[in-house]
This record gives sequence, structure tokens and C-alpha cells, in this order.
Amino acid sequence: MMRLDGRLFCGLAVVAVAALAESPTSHPNFTGFWELRFDSKNVPPAALTATMAAEDRDVQYQLDVKAIRWCHFFGVPYVMEGATLDILENQSGRDIVISSSLRSPARHIYVDHRGHVNPDTFDPVSNGHSIGRWEGETLVIDTIGFSSEGLTAIPGGGRRTPDSHLVERYRLLDGGNRLSVVFSWEDSKVFAKPHTYEFRYYRAPKGTEAREFDCSAADTERAKFLTEPPK
Amino acid sequence: MPPATTKFGIGRVPPGVMLLEVAFFAIGPMLAQTSPPAASSPDLSGFWERRDEAGSGSFGGTLEKIPHAALKPEIIKANRQAAERAARGEVVSVASKWCGTNLYPFFMQHSAVWEIVQTPNEIAQVPEVHTFVRHIYLDGRKHPDAALLQPSVNGHAIGRWDGDTLVVDSVGFVGGGATPGGGRTTPHSHLVERFHLFDGGKQLSVTFTWDDPTVYLKPHTYELTYHRSDSGTYAFEEYCHADDPAQGASVVEPKQK
Repeated sequence: MMRLDGRLFCGLAVVAVAALAESPTSHPNFTGFWELRFDSKNVPPAALTATMAAEDRDVQYQLDVKAIRWCHFFGVPYVMEGATLDILENQSGRDIVISSSLRSPARHIYVDHRGHVNPDTFDPVSNGHSIGRWEGETLVIDTIGFSSEGLTAIPGGGRRTPDSHLVERYRLLDGGNRLSVVFSWEDSKVFAKPHTYEFRYYRAPKGTEAREFDCSAADTERAKFLTEPPK
Repeated sequence: MPPATTKFGIGRVPPGVMLLEVAFFAIGPMLAQTSPPAASSPDLSGFWERRDEAGSGSFGGTLEKIPHAALKPEIIKANRQAAERAARGEVVSVASKWCGTNLYPFFMQHSAVWEIVQTPNEIAQVPEVHTFVRHIYLDGRKHPDAALLQPSVNGHAIGRWDGDTLVVDSVGFVGGGATPGGGRTTPHSHLVERFHLFDGGKQLSVTFTWDDPTVYLKPHTYELTYHRSDSGTYAFEEYCHADDPAQGASVVEPKQK
């Protein structure tokens, strides 16, 4: 076995520390359950295009009612506020998955340096196609490829469309007890300028468990409740 | 694969190694604030898919390899009646027509890929098909007391590592799901699964053992295997809209009496 003296080991230790400092896994870890509270949202009104601003508010209401009544996938942005989030960073470093108690697909954020999928071959989906990268301690997620399915209303005004482009910036606050997510939407048919708002999630207590909020389109009583005027 | 072992035993540390250890102790707290340490358990993470290696593409041959469950007489009778209705053309598939939530273990038999997201304290199974993410807790928690357990599509799942094998224990199913081999899930179902890699990590074996005194005469065990998907695989969302006329027309309504 090769013999190494103390000086060489000291050098190796310094190299090891330096390598860890630059390691792709040295970023903050957002894994855990996160929840919104009454003081979690800072959402200014969106600057809408003239067309969107003139739209009857009932248009969005009817779209939302249809999505809920028929149990469509909710998609982004609603999945980020509809229920407690479970954020899991795959130990392989390939992706980060955000799921919730909603019966709506989990978000997959690929952080393995891949680019966006070819839009010519990608079928748009309610969560879009997300890729992420680290800027220091901030995770920056870029999402395109949205469908018009689900709950499309965007906090502050406007709606998600197939032309929408979303950039999110995630960073920990308060020693890791809170998570800030700054959302910035761009869509030339919806917004007169990029629309930015921030949610601050609280870390859920240890032992928190995921729930399942099921949805049955076949439930006629539920359908009546959602589509008929209150009695 | 044998479990990982340490190269140096306690009390056999070469003198120079102490400096290295000091360095790692110094950065330990820093790592604790950032990412979890590298896991020593096998890396199950990634997308997994079934391949029809025994059939002609419909997975029929694969499912035929699963042994028949030893079922209680009333379950056998119910299965026979359902088969007779189907033979008469009464295709009873409410879940398909109404885009109902697929009950565990449906997505484990489906051809669509599903992903394992692995962390030290939780593993999630993330399917493409219409259902919820399945959460497997590895943080030492127990199942909730029966009186507090809320039945769910995927049940309440807790896991532990038994060497290189992930052992998952589940209870609390809503019931109503079909299990390969002729059984079904009920609120009394108890499932133990054993996940382990083989073929150099390219394949995953999952052995399912169902126990339910209302369904089985003895525990029902079968194995399914999965192939690791290509590294560039990405998830789809299974489209299903119950208000889409094409979806409703895809299923023949049962004859009404």
C-alpha cells in the first residue's frame, strides 16, 4: 500500500474542501413539505394587454368552473398554491419533483443541464416543460410548453396560455424555515409587461404527510353544486 | 450486490488521515445546511418502464406469468360473474369513461413510465397515469393508528432498507383496485413490497405480497420487473377529459335492466 505523509494528507484535505465548495450538490436543498399561510403572498395587479383587460371576467370564471367540475389537471400556477407542496430533490441530481395533494401531475424540473424539449415534438401539458439551474443559492426554473388545460388563472390577473413563459426563482430564507418563490410570467398576448409576484412558503412541521384530494367527474351532486347558483 | 463496507476499521487510522478527518468535521455542519450527504443505499432514482418480454405487445403474456391468487370463494364467484358480463359485451369501465383516479397498484402494471424520486427520508413514485404521487416515508415514522388513518388511493407507505433491498409496508387503501392474479384491494389490504436492482442497475425487481383476510386464503406474492429508461427521458401528462366526447365514446355503457 502506498504510504502518505501528513503534509500530503493536509493538501488533500484542502483540495477536498475546495471541491465540495464547487460541487454541484453544495447548493441549498429545498426537500420537504411547504405550505402557504395568510401572509404568504405578495401579488400586485398584472399589467394586462388591452385585449385581456377588456375581457369579461366571466370568461375566466367559466373556464375555471369547467376545469374543476370535470377534474381536469390543474397545472401551473394553481398547483403552487392549491395545497401543501412536497418538494423532493432526487439524490441523483437529475431532477427536482414538486407534488401536492391535488389530483394533478407532479412538476418535474430537470436540473441535469438538458435544454427544453423540441416544441415540434412536445405535446403541451398543464405544467409545461421545466428546466432548472443554480445561480449561487438560488434555483432558477424556466418553463415553456404549457397547454391551456386546467386552472389557468394567474395570481394578479391574466391566464396561462400555450405562449406563456414562466421564470421562477427559489431561495431559502430564515435559516431554511421559509422558501421564497418569485414568479415572472411573460406572454405578449396577455401581459403588457412581465408580471412578477412572490410567494413565501413556510416549512411544514416534521412528520407532515401528503394527502389525496380526489376528484370525481361522475359525481352528479358535486357537479350540481359547482355549476348551479347557490340555493 | 454485497453491502458496502468500510476500508479502514476503527482504531486502524493511519496518522496522516487524522488531518483529513478534521477537515471533514469542519465542513460537516456546512453540508448539513445544504444538500443531504451522499446516500449509501442503492440509487433507485430514475424513470422505470415495463417491457412486454413475454407477450406480443399487449402485456397479456407478461400478466399471464403472474400466479393465480388463492382467493376466497366469494371473490372467485364475483370474478366469474364479472367475466360473464364482459363476455356478453357489458364493458363496465366507469373509471375509464369518467377519467377516474387509478388505484394502486394499477400504474405498476401499466406500460407508461413512472419515476422514482429518492431522498434519504422519503422516496416518491411519480406516475404519468391519472393518479396521485405515492409517498414512501423512510424517516422512521410508523403507520398512523387505525382510527386516525385516512384511506387513500396509494395507501400509507413506510419503508426501510434491508441491505440493498427497499422494503415497503403499506396499509390504508381505499379499496376497489384490481391486483394481478385475480385479487383486489380493500381497506383491509396489507402490502409488503421489496424493491431491488439487478443487471448492474439497469433493471428493477419489485416483489409484491398482498395479505387480506377478506380476499385471499393465503398471502399472494408475484414479481414484476422494470427497465431503466434512457437518461434523457422526461415525463408526460396522461390526457383524460371526461367531458371530451371522444373519451365518453371510448367505453360501451353497460346494458341497463
